[in-house]
Amino acid sequence: MDLNETSEESTFRAEARAWLEANVPTSPLPSFDTEEGFALHRVWEKKLYEGRWSAVSWPVEYGGRNADYIKWLIFEEEYYRAGAPGRVNQNGIFLLGPTIMEVGTEEQKAKFLPSMASSEIVWGQAWSEPNAGSDLAGIRSKATRDGNEWILNGQKIWASRAVWADWCFGIFRTDPTADRHRGLTFILCPLDLPGITVRPIAQLDGDTGFAEIFFDDVRVPLANTLGEENKGWGVAMATAGFERGVSLRSPARFSEAVNRLIHLWRTYADPTDTALSDAVTDVWMQAEGYRLHTYQTVTGMLEGRAIGAEASLNKIFWSEMDVRIHEIALQILGPESERMEGPFERWVDGFLFSLSGPIYAGTNEIQRNIIADRVLQLPKGM
Amino acid sequence: MKFSFTDDQRLFAEGLRDLLSNECTPAHVREAWENHTGHIPQLWTRLSEMGVLSMLVSESAGGMGGTLIDAILLFQELGRAGVPGPVLEHMAVAAPALANTSWGPSLVDGSQIATLWVDNIPYVAHAQVANLVLRNEAVITGFSTSDAHGIDGGRQLFTISGGTETSASAEVFGLPASDVMALASAAYLIGASERMIEVAAEYARQREQFGKPIGSFQAVKHLMSDALLKVEFAKAPTYRAAWSASTGAATAARDISMAKALASEAAYRASRSTMQVHGGIGYTWEADLQLWMKKSWALMRAYGDATFHRRRVGASVLSK
Repeated sequence: MDLNETSEESTFRAEARAWLEANVPTSPLPSFDTEEGFALHRVWEKKLYEGRWSAVSWPVEYGGRNADYIKWLIFEEEYYRAGAPGRVNQNGIFLLGPTIMEVGTEEQKAKFLPSMASSEIVWGQAWSEPNAGSDLAGIRSKATRDGNEWILNGQKIWASRAVWADWCFGIFRTDPTADRHRGLTFILCPLDLPGITVRPIAQLDGDTGFAEIFFDDVRVPLANTLGEENKGWGVAMATAGFERGVSLRSPARFSEAVNRLIHLWRTYADPTDTALSDAVTDVWMQAEGYRLHTYQTVTGMLEGRAIGAEASLNKIFWSEMDVRIHEIALQILGPESERMEGPFERWVDGFLFSLSGPIYAGTNEIQRNIIADRVLQLPKGM
Repeated sequence: MKFSFTDDQRLFAEGLRDLLSNECTPAHVREAWENHTGHIPQLWTRLSEMGVLSMLVSESAGGMGGTLIDAILLFQELGRAGVPGPVLEHMAVAAPALANTSWGPSLVDGSQIATLWVDNIPYVAHAQVANLVLRNEAVITGFSTSDAHGIDGGRQLFTISGGTETSASAEVFGLPASDVMALASAAYLIGASERMIEVAAEYARQREQFGKPIGSFQAVKHLMSDALLKVEFAKAPTYRAAWSASTGAATAARDISMAKALASEAAYRASRSTMQVHGGIGYTWEADLQLWMKKSWALMRAYGDATFHRRRVGASVLSK
């Protein structure tokens, strides 16, 4: 055990810090869930890519730096420290990208990864359906073979970033006789094809961060299949494991939020209110605990241990922590917490967004079931 | 940056787990409770032979020369087994602190037993089986004891009187005894919590109601998952605290407090949830669960409770 950085890690950190200090926009960009903000975030991603900072953990040939997980965490710490913009192509770079590297063909890697790293193509996720939410295996949207093409039909919902994204990655039923998680295929699809209708859904904060996607006889080449036909569930779960496990919410995000919370507490709170100072200390410990836990997980991965259902523990932990951080901030803000615009809007907006955490990427109740089944070995059953 | 244990550290902990699975079964622990010694002499001898008791004593003084990083998984294993008696006190503080005094050799080989009286409280745990009591600035010998009836039969509680005081230091690796014990207790509580969760999961697989194992019900699954979550997220902070303490980091006291606060709360949650999963059986003397529950309730408040330690963390991170 050595929790000090190596000199190589420190050099990497210094390089990232210097680049970010020189390049991060001086004033915050509008939300990437607005048309203007989406375009500006795409420009920012291009700049990151040109500095080779958009996908540091990727191989050099696809635009990355071949950084190991520790360095990825260091980059994230510097990224949040610098107050850099949100990652509009997160679905691509952190979810789909690693999956393509794991199961994609060489042609798919060459075609999709560089344009993903540069955000020339921004990806939306198309998994859930009106009747397949927590019960994701209940997917009904189908893909039917016709020569060298799939014909896609059905409806997806809660497709993040789909309003302005260029492509989506979806799961479709390809074997109508197969049950549940069998007979599904993972398919990549441009969002500007004939037969596609994207209908934005306004979120709690009014922005359209997700959408419904309707597929009406949409034709895509069979070459857009990721992984094996009828094995899409396994491909999707590999993506979901990585999402919940490490990449979706890096610890730096919460360490940064708690640092801002402590600043808020010092500036506005009554220091003799011990219930409040205890609460602030408690979320500091949670963020620090999450950071330490992640470094431990990542060291294990580097030493060859697989991450499994622990990913579900992470997902519950960070999502509940995020809500708690924002609840405490609103408590400190008092009457200011009622305003959607003004000097503290980031906290109010952050509170609304935090409430989505326990729901998306598999609700926390589903995660608790997964932990009970796979870690605690409790019997299956609802 | 490398946040993991070496193969040697893991193997030693596994060896201790094997030893404890034979020498410290729930039946052994119960016997120590019921004969009112709170101590298993045979186990003490085996822990001495294995080098557990002298893990933190320097090699020049006849010990294993280990660090708190080497010891932290051992504290956790002791907790898994609910080991009774002054093992933590002797191993984590008394033996290394007194190694170079005249008591050293007998503490290193375990032929004499030491316990601690470090906090400003009226009671001394394990005093009846101890040859000496280490206070902050003194060793007390030849004292007499009076039973204070502790809740945990493996941590018998006494008041002591009389005896002879000899000045001595209770510092280990430059840390006060109370901090070292807070760290050791945090790891012990994590081990105890893991065991309570395992025992309750096993019960939930076996016990049937409505024609199904109760572990198949979501209410039970979620109770158990939430308990596990708190334990899992107390581990890395506890290991980090061991690293900070071993390396003399400026944040050692803060990090130990973070570990003790999180582990104390995790253990209490684990005790409540696992008892609930046991239903009526969980409220009986017969259920083994009490061996770890009562240890948890004692250690979660000993050496500083969660509130004390949280405020110590707060004093460090909230000040400008």
